[in-house]
Amino acid sequence: MAFLELANDYTVQVVVLGSAGIGGVSGALGCFAYLRRQSLMGDVVSHSSLLGIVLAFWLAFLITGESSRSLWVLMPGALLAGLASLLLSRFITRRTALKEDAGLGVMLAIFFGSGMMFLRYLQRSQPRVGGQSGLDQYLFGMAAAMTKADLWMIGVLGGLALFAMTLTWFRLKLITFDPQYAAGLGLRLGLYEVVLLSLLVIGIVIGLQIAGVVLMVSLLIAPASAARQWTSSLGSMVMLAAVIGAVTAASGAFISALVGSLPTGPVIVLLVTLVFLVSLIAAPGRGLIFRYRERRRVRVA
Amino acid sequence: MLPELSIQTWTLIIAMVTAVTCGLCGSLLLLNRQAMVSEGLSHAVLPGLVIAFLLFRSFSSPWLLLFAAGSGLLMVLATELLSKTRLVDSDAGLGIVFAGMFSFGVLLVSMELRNVHFHADCIIDGNLSLTPLDRMEVPGLGPVPKSFVTMSGLLLAALTFILVCYKELKVMIFDPMHSLRLGLRPRLISYLWLSLVSLTAVAAFDAAGSILIVALMIAPPATAFLLTQRFDWFLYLSAGVSGVCSLLGYFMASRMEISPTGPTASAAGLVFLVVLVAGPKRSVLAEWLGRGSRRDRMRLSLAAEIAGSVATRGDAERAFERTFRISDGAANRLMEQLLERQLVTCTGGDIDMTEAGRNEVRGQLKDFPGSAANST
Repeated sequence: MAFLELANDYTVQVVVLGSAGIGGVSGALGCFAYLRRQSLMGDVVSHSSLLGIVLAFWLAFLITGESSRSLWVLMPGALLAGLASLLLSRFITRRTALKEDAGLGVMLAIFFGSGMMFLRYLQRSQPRVGGQSGLDQYLFGMAAAMTKADLWMIGVLGGLALFAMTLTWFRLKLITFDPQYAAGLGLRLGLYEVVLLSLLVIGIVIGLQIAGVVLMVSLLIAPASAARQWTSSLGSMVMLAAVIGAVTAASGAFISALVGSLPTGPVIVLLVTLVFLVSLIAAPGRGLIFRYRERRRVRVA
Repeated sequence: MLPELSIQTWTLIIAMVTAVTCGLCGSLLLLNRQAMVSEGLSHAVLPGLVIAFLLFRSFSSPWLLLFAAGSGLLMVLATELLSKTRLVDSDAGLGIVFAGMFSFGVLLVSMELRNVHFHADCIIDGNLSLTPLDRMEVPGLGPVPKSFVTMSGLLLAALTFILVCYKELKVMIFDPMHSLRLGLRPRLISYLWLSLVSLTAVAAFDAAGSILIVALMIAPPATAFLLTQRFDWFLYLSAGVSGVCSLLGYFMASRMEISPTGPTASAAGLVFLVVLVAGPKRSVLAEWLGRGSRRDRMRLSLAAEIAGSVATRGDAERAFERTFRISDGAANRLMEQLLERQLVTCTGGDIDMTEAGRNEVRGQLKDFPGSAANST
């Protein structure tokens, strides 16, 4: 029984646990991005963080002389680059007549383009370091490479992000649904927007490990979009999205470990897309089946 | 017969043609607020490409192009359908659909094509350095790289499309409602254009990979957008800037000895930043060099205008307090500023706008297209 053996394997346990944590955190935080119509922002932030990852790796290599793949080294770089791309794109949309999507697209060119450039340069100039560095895995995600130290990092950062989310819950809710009212109440809109964006960036960056920069958007948005179909309250939406994210990420990581050669990211993304489609079709009171029946009922009556 | 060109020259030529085509494709997307569709397209063509390859087992089959472009269009359609159900936000729909399709493609690659050069890296990087090697005979030209033929064909198609539909496109982009009233078919035109973009995304895929497509479709048009407000110049500049970016990227890449994909994308982004910071019009630097920020100048000219419309200095300051919601001290300082720059004069409590003030106001209004200052 390969299945049972795998389930008892220590590494696999670490990977599945880590993936579940990541899926849960990014699913929960993704709800805010979804509701604020900033879905594609998640895509751009995740692509952009590649530059930070590569530069942090390079810097660490120059300082210590060895290649470190530790998340403690790479994560700050990713966070900085992700936030920088967001702030820069906001600056561009405010400063010029360009629309938001164009600003985001330009960020892809600057941050992802430069990230790829430095990644390839590093791999060519330091084949011993770059080639085996495993930075490549950040493109499509490779959960199998997760270590126990990574698990800690994910737990600490994810936990912090969720804690901060519950702490500022009502304010986040207010700026998500009615920013004008929030401003009218004297809430410091800019401050909480930055808080929310930072939380999102954390959620995205810890997710890169399993989904990779290219596909992370799905892990962020699809659970939220699926959960939105089943409920109309923010609390239950966030919880449901977290559960969907956690379950799909864990099972995706497990399948990928079972088959071996499959990159984790795409497997998880396909699973979560499936859940999204099912929700879209079958959700009660809102889904396509319900709509179809309702239309027939009205026609008959 | 063409003179025998070296591999490097061909690579550069292909890179430039690809870049210019992408730039033109992206320029219309940008104006249509569909910039991120190109991000979606560049990912969504992958499953079509892989399926066609699995069916026909050849990289050169034209079916590859058609299948892949088809799967790009499928993504556009699916996104549109999703947003029509009004169950999901349209941006979220785009993200989910393209990521899903791309994942499917990547999985197919890693399951079925492990030994072919269709490696996961190629999906992102493309393989520009190999493209000049695959040649075909063109009558009158001799052996020419295939991707050059495909890309120039697409460039021609894009140019023809723009030339033929120039007026229609202009109306569609700047006044969609009016184009409907005129009986144009914006949806048809938009789909034709998206098919062309999709084909370009595929053709550029092996030469450029998915990063470059997005970068070249968005960044150069965005740069052109900062440089001009005229549609025709916008198109020329989009194409021109793309060409320059590909040149820059190519030389950066050859210095670093890596594939030109990343460097070209990066160059496109950097050129945009340079224009944003140091471009001729309304750039950060231009405003810094001119006195004060745009907002401050606007405020001053508005204040001058107000001062010109009332009789006494006291009235003007009270009007400032109301209009700008500032304290009387701040209103006083604002007035001092106006006097210091000689935008207004004050003789014995009577206030009047100077010629310089009138010019300043006119200059500020000029920045708004269609304002009265432009017609006089």
